This record gives sequence, C-alpha cells and structure tokens, in this order.
Amino acid sequence: MDCMSASLDFAVIGHQDGWQPISSLINGIRTEQFEKLNSNTIRNIYSFIPPRDIFRIIARSTTGKELHGIYIETFIDPDKLDTGHQRINIDKVKDAVSFVNKLGAKIVTLGGFTSIVLEGNLYDLPKSKTVYTTGNTLTSAYIIKGIEKAAAFCGKDPNQSNILIVGATGDIGLACVQYFKNKCKKLLLCGRNIHRLRQLALTLEDQQIPVHYSVLLEKLVPEADIIISAVSSSGIGLTNYKKGVIIGDAGFPKNIESSVECHQDLHLFYAGMGQMNGGYSFSPDYTPFMYRHPAPYISHGCVIEAMVLAFENRYESYSAGRGNISISNMEEIYGLSLRHGIEPAPLYNGKGLWQKT
Amino acid sequence: MEILQHAPVTRESLQVISDVFSQAITGELIGMSNFASLAETIDDIHEKMEAVEHADSERMHAEGFLAYSSKMKLDININIGGEYWGNVRKVFLDYAHKKDFISCLIIQEVMLESFAVSMYTDVGHALGGEAGRLFLRIADEEREHLEHSSDILRAELKENPDVFIRKFEELHFRCMNILAEFTATTDLRGHCGVCRGACMKESLHHIGLDIISLRGNALALYARAMDNIGIPGEKSIVWIACLPA
Repeated sequence: MDCMSASLDFAVIGHQDGWQPISSLINGIRTEQFEKLNSNTIRNIYSFIPPRDIFRIIARSTTGKELHGIYIETFIDPDKLDTGHQRINIDKVKDAVSFVNKLGAKIVTLGGFTSIVLEGNLYDLPKSKTVYTTGNTLTSAYIIKGIEKAAAFCGKDPNQSNILIVGATGDIGLACVQYFKNKCKKLLLCGRNIHRLRQLALTLEDQQIPVHYSVLLEKLVPEADIIISAVSSSGIGLTNYKKGVIIGDAGFPKNIESSVECHQDLHLFYAGMGQMNGGYSFSPDYTPFMYRHPAPYISHGCVIEAMVLAFENRYESYSAGRGNISISNMEEIYGLSLRHGIEPAPLYNGKGLWQKT
Repeated sequence: MEILQHAPVTRESLQVISDVFSQAITGELIGMSNFASLAETIDDIHEKMEAVEHADSERMHAEGFLAYSSKMKLDININIGGEYWGNVRKVFLDYAHKKDFISCLIIQEVMLESFAVSMYTDVGHALGGEAGRLFLRIADEEREHLEHSSDILRAELKENPDVFIRKFEELHFRCMNILAEFTATTDLRGHCGVCRGACMKESLHHIGLDIISLRGNALALYARAMDNIGIPGEKSIVWIACLPA
C-alpha cells in the first residue's frame, strides 16, 4: 500500500455473485501459465482470502475528466449471503473498510451485500477523510428509468399498471415506492418483515394510495403488471405471473432469470445498471474474465454513483441509512450522471440486449 | 490423560496428535537452523546476536514440544530432510549462502512464521488443555517474530519498491509453492516423511480440525502479513491465486 503513489478518487468495495464468475476470475488471474483450478478447489480457498485491492480503475467522463479508482474484493462466499452468515460477512466488510482507509480513497461505494453496514448502521465506519456511500440513490434512479423505458418498449403504461416491489422496505425498494406511489394503478409490496411492511402500507393508505402487501411473493405476483425486484438474497422464485409482465431484476446476484418457468411470456431486464459513454478501463485488465454485459462500459448504479460524485468533486455520503432516498435526490444524481455521459444501460438480460420482435 | 479438551483420546486421535507434534518439532528445528544460518549472513554484531537469540527461541519451542511429547509418550518422528521441510530449508540456504539477509527474513519470518502462527493457533484451540496452551503460547511468541520483521521489511519496501516486490515474488514462488503443496488437501509431492503412517491431513477430524480451514487460515495470515508490509493487493492476489492447490 505504501507503494501505491497515485491518489485515489474513488474505491469500490464489492463481492462476486456466484462461483462461476469467481472461477473465471481466479483462473483468469492465474493466467494460462498455470493449470486451471476446478470450482471445488477454489471454494476451499476463496473465502479465506482477506479483502484486498485487485485492480485499478480509470473512469472517464465525456467532459474529458478522468478519475483514478480501485476495486476492493471482499471475498465473501456467494453461497453465504443470507442472514445466517451476516456476522462473518460484516467482518469481511469491516476488513475491507479498514483496508480502503489505508489506501486513502476520497469516496468509497459499498456494492451489493456490503452496503448493509451503511444501510443498517450495523457498524460505525471509522472517522477519516474517506466518505462512504451505498450508491443506492443512483441505482434506484436507474431502476426507475429502466422500468419506464421497458414499459414504453412494451407499450405498457405504468400509471395503468399494478407495480409489485419485492424488497419494498429496503432502501432501494422504499425509493421505488416513493417514486411510483403516485404513478401506478396499485402498489403491491413484498418484504420479509411483516411489521415494516404493515407500517409502510398504513402510511401509503393514509395518502390514499391503493396498496396490497404480503410477505408471500406468490400472493402478489398474479396481480402484477410490472415487478421490481430489489432484493439481494437468492431463492426468489416467480410463478403464476401475468402474461407480458415486465420484470426489472435489481438484485445482486440477478437470479430471477434462472428461476422463472417460461421466458416467452415475460419481459425481464437487469435493472439498476448504467452505461458510461466516456468508458473505463481496469489495470490489470481482468475484463475478459469478469465482464458479462452485452454492451460496452456497463456498470452497476452503485459503483457509478461514487464516480459521478467524484467527477463532481462532491465527496459526500450521498446515500446512507435506509429510507432516506428522496425523489429530488434521485433526480439530482441522475442529472449529474447524464452530465458525464452516463446513462441507464440499454435493456438486456442474460440472453442479450432486448430486441424488437 | 489431559490432551483433548472435548473428546476422549482414541488410538486415532493420539496418532494425529503425535503427527501434529512431529510436524511442529520439525518446523521449529528448521526455524532454529534457519536463524542460525541467518546469523552467518549478518555483519552487524548486534543483529548477529539477535539472530542467534531467535535461533535459541526456536530451539526452546522445539524443547517445549519435545518435553510434552515425551511426557505424553507420543510417537514422534523428526525429519528435517523430508520432502517439504527439506526443500524449504534448501531454498532458505540458497539465500543464506548469498548473504541475502532480507530474503532470509522474508522466508523465515513472513512465510514460515505466518503458517506457524496460524496453524499453532488453530491447533491450540482445537486441543485445549496443556497441549493447547503450549501451542497458543508458542504462537504468541512466533507472532512477535512476524511483527518485528514487518517493521524491517516495510522500510526495505519503501526504499526500493520495485526491487523489493520482484524479490518477494521470486521467494513466494520458491517457498510458498512448497508450503502450498505441503498443505494441499492431498500431498502434491508425495509423503512428507514426518507423519508416521498415512498423511495426517485425512485424520485431522479426530482432533476437530480440517486441512481446508488450517490452510485457509494460514494463507489468510500470510496475506495479511503481506498487507502489513505494504505489498499491493493487486500483486498479492496474483501470487496467492497462482499457488498450487
């Protein structure tokens, strides 16, 4: 770390979303000089590795401005993202935070599961010049823009649609609720915590918003015209959905696709993603082993939020806590991202870009 | 016999414990020999005396393990020329003969001590009782060696980062490859020459341990030791990822 001389505008703390991407990355790092390791061998070692920087990032704005960043991998086991392993995962995030503090990045985004420490105030981040953001505000803005784009693509009017938000009481879910509560026919809310769901539904009912809620997803899915999945946990299964339903999968990992019964009757896209027209590059360049998007320079909204704030010299904890994302914040950060040539990603899923049939 | 904290001592567990002590004693004797050789490489008389003192400290650790083994009538086999320990010693001597003090320090104090501290800690917690306390006490003393060397190596890295990192990388692939092969789920180069019967890794469960955790924790401590010295993560991850597994 001492020999890392260039100052860091931003850092990303993250984790991989499955063993296949991990195998690809580790074998990519090993290079062709060494024999490929099988997935089981990698599983035996991977999550023991303490968090560390694995590549540097140069991010470019279309204004010509360039940022220097770094990616910190937490080496969290992707099979252990559930609440049963929360303590060990939070310890990993703490280690990553302490690592990034030594590197002295000006702003750090906590990607995927790692945002939990900032969302839930589960850990007092160290007092330093480094500021932290979950990146949830820009992620939420991109989800919303994606849903509107997808609806237009499919000839569907959100105002005439029942919108189901899975993970409705989480930070991103709440941001989507705030945005769509006056822009849909009915809100359908799903979450794990019945007390929080009930409280949210009561608040919305007080505002004369039509709402239906349940902890059981299968009770809500048949009514939904549009589904936003803002949950990070695995095991989200969708059955009995309406023909032609639009699904924005904003989870990490994006695992709805693999659990739906039939792909012909639905329109699924990966939500919360942005595309940086100014481009970015990694050093060492692990993109051949990591990049899985069907168009160039796509990244997660949470990562891009830190970059946008750094482009703007606004080193502030823009997204923190739960339920603090306002519509005006989403509009502001979205506007700032556009200023640097960063737009919502084109609509795509695991099969590629959406095509007009 | 107070040797295992939770489970009764069986023939199988006693054999594993014997093998664990045999490995620890052999490792300490390698450390003792390495520090003695290290003393040869140093011109400064104070540092020379310090190296001899470290060698003596490793000797005392070996004595401690031997004394306990003798008391418990463990079946001990010491082999400092075995496949893995012998090769680690050969690599060390290559650098000692060149009077390359820094390389010797990296091999002994960072690579070998990381593994010793981590594995002694895991073994200590698993065994409990007098044996556990012995392992934990020695782990603490070895940890001091690790921390002491980090100060010297940090300064060395600062002075000439590129040269230092190239040197570290070379040592990593020479020494850590051997340790990685040694601690893989199966011995990648054959029997170690220390365990009495078959490889003890398959029997560690008898004392509440497993090689995956032992190895993982050891690699983690080694990774942290590299962080503490100031080796960039983007380098250390490549080195770790490229180890035999």
